[in-house]
Order: sequence, then C-alpha cells, then structure tokens
Amino acid sequence: MTSEVRIPDSLHPERTEEARLRAAAGLAPAPATGGEYAGFESVGLPDRPPQTEREREVYTLGEGEMLFNMGPQHPSTHGVMRLVVKVRGEVVVDIDPVLGYLHRGIEKLCENATYTTVMTYVDPMDYLSAMHNEHAPAIAFEKLYGIKAPKRAEYIRALVVELNRVFSHGLMMGFQALDMGGLTPILYGFINRDEVVELLSAISGQRMLFNFFRVGGVNFDANDEFFSRLGTWRAGVLKTIEMNERIMTDNEIFRGRTIGMGVLSGPEAIALGVTGPSLRASGVPFDVRKAHPYSIYPELEFDVITQTGGDVYSRYLQRVAELKQSIHLIDQIVDKMPHGPVQAQVPGIIRPKPGRAYAAVESPRGLYSVYAISDGGPNPYRFRMRDPSFVSLQAMPKLMPGRLIADTMAVMASFDPVMGGVDK
Amino acid sequence: MDLDLLLGVGRFLLATTLLLLLTVPTAFVVIQMELKVIAQMQLRYGPNRIGPWGMFQSTIHGFKFLAKEDHMPDQADRTTFTLAPWMVYMAAAMSMLVIPWAPGAIAADFNIGIVYFFAIIGLSVVGMLVAGWASYNKYSLLGGLRSAAQMVSYEIPLTLSVVGVVVLGGSLNFREVIEWQLDHGWMLLWQPVGWGIFYIASLAEINRTPFDMVEADSELVAGPFTEYSGMRFGFFFFAEYVALFIMSGIMVALFFGGWLAPWPFPAQLEGFGGTLYGLFWFFLKSYLFVFVAVWLRATLPRVRVDQLMGMAWKVLLPLAMLNLIATAGVVVWLKL
Repeated sequence: MTSEVRIPDSLHPERTEEARLRAAAGLAPAPATGGEYAGFESVGLPDRPPQTEREREVYTLGEGEMLFNMGPQHPSTHGVMRLVVKVRGEVVVDIDPVLGYLHRGIEKLCENATYTTVMTYVDPMDYLSAMHNEHAPAIAFEKLYGIKAPKRAEYIRALVVELNRVFSHGLMMGFQALDMGGLTPILYGFINRDEVVELLSAISGQRMLFNFFRVGGVNFDANDEFFSRLGTWRAGVLKTIEMNERIMTDNEIFRGRTIGMGVLSGPEAIALGVTGPSLRASGVPFDVRKAHPYSIYPELEFDVITQTGGDVYSRYLQRVAELKQSIHLIDQIVDKMPHGPVQAQVPGIIRPKPGRAYAAVESPRGLYSVYAISDGGPNPYRFRMRDPSFVSLQAMPKLMPGRLIADTMAVMASFDPVMGGVDK
Repeated sequence: MDLDLLLGVGRFLLATTLLLLLTVPTAFVVIQMELKVIAQMQLRYGPNRIGPWGMFQSTIHGFKFLAKEDHMPDQADRTTFTLAPWMVYMAAAMSMLVIPWAPGAIAADFNIGIVYFFAIIGLSVVGMLVAGWASYNKYSLLGGLRSAAQMVSYEIPLTLSVVGVVVLGGSLNFREVIEWQLDHGWMLLWQPVGWGIFYIASLAEINRTPFDMVEADSELVAGPFTEYSGMRFGFFFFAEYVALFIMSGIMVALFFGGWLAPWPFPAQLEGFGGTLYGLFWFFLKSYLFVFVAVWLRATLPRVRVDQLMGMAWKVLLPLAMLNLIATAGVVVWLKL
C-alpha cells in the first residue's frame, strides 16, 4: 500500500558519515538522544551558530516552547516571506521574520540601466503599486537632470497614481479578510482591481508592470476614450468596495478579532519608522503628499485622514477611508486636467551632471523614496530605494508576543506588506 | 439454519453496503454544491468544463485522489498514520446507520438511536487527533490538538441541546421523535433556543466556517491533513462533507420534522409512495441546511481559537443548561 520513500544518504540516520565511521571503527550505532520525537520542537533552527544577540534570543528555546516555521511556502505569508515563530502552545513568544526569498537585485539592475530604462526595472518591486514605484525615480531623475515635466503630464501622473492606490487598498481589504478565513472579499477586491487595471492598460498599454513614466513626462497622453471609460468606471467603482464593507466592517467576528489587536501607538510607530496608512491609523497625521508636497498635490484639496486606535481594525478603516479619498482626488484631477504636451524635450540618452537627488512619494504602503547619485554617465552611479513594507514588517516582533498564532496573520495582513518590495 | 437470522444478516449487509456506497455520491453532491454556490456568491462561474454546468467536477476530484501518490512522511508513525483516515471516515459512515431517511427507510431503527449517533460522530475526533500526532508535523500537531479541544467542548452543548428534544419527544428513537412532531408540530416551535445552540455547536462539531479552526488554511495550512495525500486525504475530505450532510439531516430530523412535509395535508403517506414522499422532503430540507452552511462559508471570517472555546463554555453551555431545566420544568408542570 505504501511505497518506500527514497531518502538521500545525508539525511538517513543509518547512512550518515558518522554512522559509516562508527561502523568502520566497529562501534555500535550512535544511541538515539531521546524518544521518537526528540528534537521535534527545534526543527527549524538555523544550521550555523547564532550571529547576533537577537538571533540567540529568538532561537534559544525555553521550557515548553517550540519553533514554528511559517513560510516561505505558506498560504498566507503574502508571497515568499518566512516567519520563524517561537510558540508556547498556541501563544506566540517571539517572531523572527526571515527575508530575501524574492531578492532580485533590482537596485543593482537599475545602476546598470540608463535613466530611461530604470522605469522598467522598478515596476516589479512593489507589484501592487507599480505606478508609485515609477513616480519616485521619475521625480528624482528630473531633479538630477534639471527639467520639469509639463503640467498635463503631472496631472496624468497624479491620476494614474491615485488609480493605483484605489486597487491596492481594495486588495488590502480582501487580503485582510482572507488571512482571517473570509473567502469572499478577495474576489470582490480582484474585480475592483481588474476594472482599474483595464483602465491603466488603456492608458499605458500594460496591465501590471506599466512602464508608463518617463524622465520629463509620461509615455502616452490620455485621450477622450480613456476619459469616457474613466467616467463609466467612476460611476460603479464603489460597488465592490461597498460589498466588501458590508461583509467586513460591521461583522461581529471581524470586529472581535481585530479591535484591540496589534496596537501600535503613535510614538512606537514613529520610532520603528512605520509610514503610510499604518502610521496614520496610529493617529500621526503624516502624509508625504501634505508634509513634503510633490507633483500637483498642493493644488488639490484633501485632508490627512487619521484614526485613533492603532490596531488592526483602525488600519483596515484607514485603508477604506483613503480609498474613498483617492476617488475624490481623481474627481478633482479630472476636473482640473489642463491641455498641452505630456513630454518635455529630453535626449535619447540622458546624462545628468554629477550630483545627488532624493524624491519621496506616498505609496499605498507608506513613504516610498528614491536616492540617486549621478557621476555624469548614462546610468545612475548609485540608486537606492526605501520600501515602506520592509520597514513596516519590523513592527511584527514587537506586536506579536503574547498573542495567538491566528493573530500573526491578521496583524501581518494589516500592514499590507508586498514581498516584491521587501526583498527588492 | 434459522431463516430469520439469515434474513437479518442479509438485511444488515445490504443496509451497511448501501450506506457505505451512499457516502460517495453524498460527498460528491455536497462538494459540487459548495463549488458552485460559493462561485455564484463570489461573482464567478465556478467549475463549468466537466459535464453540463461542470456537474462532474467533484466526481473527477474524487477519482483524482485515487491516481495521486500516496506519500507518507519519513518520520511518521506508520500504523496510526494509516489508521487515522479510516477512523474519521468510519465515524461519518457509521453514523449514517440511524439517519431517518423516510418512513420505512431507516437502516437501524433502534431505541437508542440518538445516543448512538452522538457517540459515533464524536469518534471522529480520535482520528483527527491521531492524524495530527502521527504526521510528525507541527501544523498537524497543532491542528489535531485544536480539533480535540474544539470537538470535546462543543459536544457538551450539542448533546445538552438535544436532551431538551428528547425530554419533549419522550424517546431516544429518531422515528418516534419525528412521529411526535407529526402530532405536535415541528420541534423548532417548542425548542427554538435548543435549535440555536444545536446549530452553532453542530457547525463547530463538523469544523465548518466560522469554526473551521482545525483546518484553518490561512494559519495551519491544512491542520491535521497537511501531510496526507492521495486517497488517504480523500477519506478525510469525504468524511468532512458527509458529516456536513449528516449533521444537516440530523438537525432536520430533530427540529424540522424529518421526512414530514411542512403542511399537514398530507404530512406523510403510507406505503412505497410514502417512502418516496418522505425522502423528497428529507433531502430537500437537509440540502437547504447544507446550502446555509455553504452560504456561511462564503460570508464569515473565522473566529479565533480562544473566542471559540470561550463561546462554548461561557455562552452555549449555560444557555443549554437553562434550556434543559426550563424544558424539563415545563414538561413536568404541564404533564406533557
């Protein structure tokens, strides 16, 4: 009935190097160090001595504790993240997020690309906000090269960026529910995403990795057909969002699991460097669009939304509120959209003067920024990106001790990390 | 040899074979319902390639299990790992023995059917626990222990809520409880609180959303079933969906008049036609509650493990006690 499983020699207890040496020396096989399940609790220990004090703390097991390895292949770690969870029963004692499973060396790739082709490499970083990924380098390179994009290009940029924020926050609602066992909101979230992505592909030509921004403008102009489709979309955009809200916001189970869960106070969030909706949910009114205005945001009317709770539920509410705010911003942008060119005159190969530039934008996950150094050549000498979800994940080991395994997923989903951005 | 004994043995073999065979189409129908109904609720098509309206999707799923590799982890406890799916499956299959399908169509119409049912359905927890322990996997272990805690806790309010029905109906025999409802109206009218407790506890007992702590795919991957593949996993899978149908059927029998039509003209018929008439109503009502369970799955997130236990011990158990005492008091007072 059962087929014999072939085990590699290195793993087989009777065929290891040690067993072979023992047999050669005529010794008895090494005695087992306990019962059949000995060592079960420490499966997952790294196969090297601890490198730091923190690592020693996480991987030293107390009485009744065991290591619990979540990921990189796990249904709800948002891609290929690995959490080593130290648990006592179901209670989390400590968490060690292990990153790097999706590292593609995007910064280095960008340093080998020309200033124009950098835009193609930053797209797959935070793949749920590709437009924001392009926005920050575009601003930074324009600062380096000393040009300004035309007014209409800036408006189109703001438009696509806010569209991107709508579907990113819409998906976050779905992921939040999915990680807590609710199956339906993610489907509604993807319906919403599909509609937005269709719009964005109408203007940029691609559905996910848009490659839309250029140094000194955008790739295509928005034509009348696009605006007509935008109007149709605008009329029905809140349908799926409101369906999700009906399932989640007042759901007794959802509230019971999220209110008071993973509370991050304002000072703590600032100390950890958490930005974006997660920071504003803790009551800190910091929004890059207001604090360090860029693009056309000074010309638009909007308030910085904050929540008071700082818990998972507040972070969820914050996303929903910002989603609606984005739709409000889209209305304003379309109203004020000027006519004119969408691309400034730039040469085919851009060679900025030696210098440095920094640009930050408000991505759906927080402050996303780019620091570029030019040495006068055709590609950036150094290109560095700060990804907000990488920083937000730092809060996990602080929030989880004393909570249950099930809450790990709820809290992680509330920070809405995207592994493509974390691992770059 | 005694002809009666031979007939009895033959009847027993026929009934058990039929019931064992019946588990397979029951599971197929319930799984198909889950696939299609959830798809409609989530604004997608669901399976639509195999057969008309994707009708045979779940059948193909079932046969797929047979073709898959039967893998066993290296360090698993071989005996118990092999036994666990059978324990869970047999618990579900054996409890079908006392289901009152229709007048004249009960495999074992014996006088302690209700006790038998709750004893047998509770056995599946042993299989889950064993599966979790034998797999040598931490997800499985946690899932198995969760299932033990959950099912043991919820069995108490579940059984207590049924005691109210038994006190009113005056019998531990499913047939007699249904016949009592023929005279007095559905048990739901007499035991609304009991029904509420029974429904919540039965969802927890068969690990359905929002109480699917045991599988909890976003936390424990697949709970005790993580390391199972092939037909061994298939048995767990079948058992789960068969249990969903059985629990709905038992709830219909205890609270919704079983095979009785919802109106008194005629609530039941005599002879073979009556059996068919009863089967129709029984299946209609049972699948209605299967549908509700699927609906809940599409709607609700999962409760947390401590909230789950808190609800069993702090809410359902006292409520079930009060309900039982009140029912007994009324029965004694009115001499029903």
